Amino acid sequence: MNEFKSIDDILDFAINSEQEAIDFYTKLATVAKTDAIKEVFTDFAGEEAGHKAKLIEIKKNGSFGVITEKISDLKIADYVVNNQPSPEMTYQDALILAMHKEKAAFKLYSALADRAPNADIRNLFLMLAQEESKHKLRFELEYDEYVLREN
Amino acid sequence: MDDQEVKYLKFKTYLNTYCPYCHQSFNVEKKNDKQLVFKANYKDQEMDLSLSPYLDVFESTTSHEVKEGDLLSDLLCPSCNKSLISKEIKCGECGSDVAGVIISAASKLIPFYICLKKGCEWHGLTKADERKIKLKIPRQEMPEQDKTLRIHNHQEVPYGFTSELASLEAGRCLQCKNPKCVEGCPVNVDIPAFIKLMRENDFNGAAKKIKERNVLPAICGRVCPQESQCEEKCILGYKDKPVAIGRLERFVADFERKMELVKIPIIKTKINKRIAVVGSGPGGLTVAADMALLGYSVTVFEALHELGGVLTYGIPEFRLPKSIVQFEINYLKEIGVRFELNHVIGNIITIQELLEYFDAVYIGVGAGLPTFMGIEGENFGNVFSSNEYLTRMNLMKAYLFPEYDTPMPRGNKVVVIGGGNVAMDSARSAIRTGSAEVTIVYRRSRQELPARAEEVHHAEEEGIRFRLLTNPIRYIGTDYNMVKGLECIKMELGEPDESGRRRPVPIKDSEFIIECDLAVVAIGTGPNPIIFQSSPDLKRNKWGYLDANNNTMETSISKVYAGGDIVTGSATVIQAMGAGRIAANAMHKKLSKEN
Ligand SMILES: Cc1cc2nc3c(=O)[nH]c(=O)nc-3n(C[C@H](O)[C@H](O)[C@H](O)COP(=O)(O)OP(=O)(O)OC[C@H]3O[C@@H](n4cnc5c(N)ncnc54)[C@H](O)[C@@H]3O)c2cc1C
Ligand code: SF4
Repeated sequence: MNEFKSIDDILDFAINSEQEAIDFYTKLATVAKTDAIKEVFTDFAGEEAGHKAKLIEIKKNGSFGVITEKISDLKIADYVVNNQPSPEMTYQDALILAMHKEKAAFKLYSALADRAPNADIRNLFLMLAQEESKHKLRFELEYDEYVLREN
Repeated sequence: MDDQEVKYLKFKTYLNTYCPYCHQSFNVEKKNDKQLVFKANYKDQEMDLSLSPYLDVFESTTSHEVKEGDLLSDLLCPSCNKSLISKEIKCGECGSDVAGVIISAASKLIPFYICLKKGCEWHGLTKADERKIKLKIPRQEMPEQDKTLRIHNHQEVPYGFTSELASLEAGRCLQCKNPKCVEGCPVNVDIPAFIKLMRENDFNGAAKKIKERNVLPAICGRVCPQESQCEEKCILGYKDKPVAIGRLERFVADFERKMELVKIPIIKTKINKRIAVVGSGPGGLTVAADMALLGYSVTVFEALHELGGVLTYGIPEFRLPKSIVQFEINYLKEIGVRFELNHVIGNIITIQELLEYFDAVYIGVGAGLPTFMGIEGENFGNVFSSNEYLTRMNLMKAYLFPEYDTPMPRGNKVVVIGGGNVAMDSARSAIRTGSAEVTIVYRRSRQELPARAEEVHHAEEEGIRFRLLTNPIRYIGTDYNMVKGLECIKMELGEPDESGRRRPVPIKDSEFIIECDLAVVAIGTGPNPIIFQSSPDLKRNKWGYLDANNNTMETSISKVYAGGDIVTGSATVIQAMGAGRIAANAMHKKLSKEN
């Protein structure tokens, strides 16, 4: 964990990760076969841009809230097998992909929080992890509502 | 006289009436002539008045002539001479004075009122009394095949009402002034009106009344989720069980068919325009019927080798006999609709090509693409989508193998994943083909089961086990990659979210395995993309369903309409028919303007 020397280091890393996600979804939007799915990925990219802006704001103000709220975890991503990005993706595929991405980020930040050298850094990682679990929940709810309609 | 008849106050019930003061009967019987005999005052003259003793039969004779619309000044008991005029009650129809007598009904003595105005055909109970009586009639059950016998055959489970049971049930309806049932019906069938006709023993008229709004009542009576539509809203349901509207609908439609009362209309005006309907599900059939009756020349293109859509390939024989679907299709053939089987539109003809020959196109291709959960092991052998499983069973008649060529997917221990009608149909098909143990695995609680209540009830009766709040997480396979088990995790309902819904969340470390040698996935379906491959300009939403204007069902291409599951995602037969009707109206409106 040597590379994270300061709070700013961590935020830069997180901002950078969000940018990677924006790029990833934007690319999928350009290759997607149908207009509706293009729009889905453009929306996902937009949501990631929102997350990025939030982190930039935190970096600028130098403060972030301590987490109290409990985010529910439907654990759908835990059991659904991940898929490879492709131009033929359906909305269900897109949701699976997004859930898995958010889950991976959540796990990374949680692991980093466990190994944090001090309380400030730990809190920051926990906050980032919680943000990611919120994003995952948003996709899981959609999956729960529509894909698992009769289940 | 049948005691039950009085008890349940059917139309033309013979009334036993008594004086409220001296308790003498007003009923007089001379030879075959039955009457209620009173004394009356009219223009200061005393005279005799006799009325028909049958409920809702308005016949009276008087010893002096009484002018139509005139009011009797009094009605008296011939035994004690007391005036019977009620101080509290006025006529429910015209507001005039009424005479109060007592009738025996529902094992009770109940006040009953006779209007004193000549020509006002009102004699009845107060609403409160009427309600008391109605509440006495229990909701009638349909006779059905014994549960131990029916799991060995594929015949329909309920036999339907007899005319006696149907009349009794029709007698429960309150004939509300502001009936809520009609609002609950997606196509707004005039429910009290058809029930009223049934009470007058005009079953044929009742069937016609329903058909004004719903062209497939024999089918809807069997498969509509009435408990969440008309019957959920029924006003009687606040105090008692609602009127069994679906069963009555089924009865009159069956009556019309069995008595051969369906008339083929002669279509007088021919409109020189052609309509193509893609898909022969309930939505497509509705459009075809409506447009053909208007005089258009209609051709239905169906991808499969049989017509009817889900009604034929999805819903099993024991729930919807194919002969009924066939009867409805024959009716369409009789009115001149043409059917082209084995025509996969999008593959052999494109929508654009259809538009070159036809004046308008309706797309009713349903949502026939199976959805899988995407969990580990879904590719093992003997893991079926419900679509394939039920298609083999129903359309390909696998249960008659080797008489038919399709082998039957058979398992001794079967799990079915999902809680909708499709899941119930799959599970009940499995039990009928000899599976020893059939288990339904559903992630949410009983309350959320989307299947019709009757199907859940029948499934339970037939011995199907329900594992509720249970989520499959992985299939387990044999060395030969055949499924041998399903690992599940127990769920609990989490805290309500912003929408107030409690979502199921897994209980930590509660995994367990259900042994199985056949699994059927019935968690929902999606749109089949074939038809769109050659029509990329048809606008679709992110789920892949077609975008259509709610008021006209027209799509992004002019004169191309769509409705049913391909627009809404898997829904119901009646919704598909409702959409078909909207589309037919809009099509007709648009095409008429072109002349
Ligand atoms: C097993 C099962 C049980 C159900 N039980 C009930 C129930 O009890 N009550 C209820 O209300 N609803 C029930 N439903 C849902 C109901 O059947 C559907 O909502 C309804 O049938 C949808 O009608 P539709 O007109 O949209 O098309 P469908 O009935 O889906 O028919 C579409 C037709 O289009 C054809 N088609 C598809 N693609 C093409 C093409 N490219 N070219 C030509 N033809 C094509 C198909 O072969 C099919 O025949 C059930 C569904 C299933 C699967
Ligand atoms: S709401 Fe119920 S009781 Fe009232 S008219 Fe409709 S079916 Fe009859």
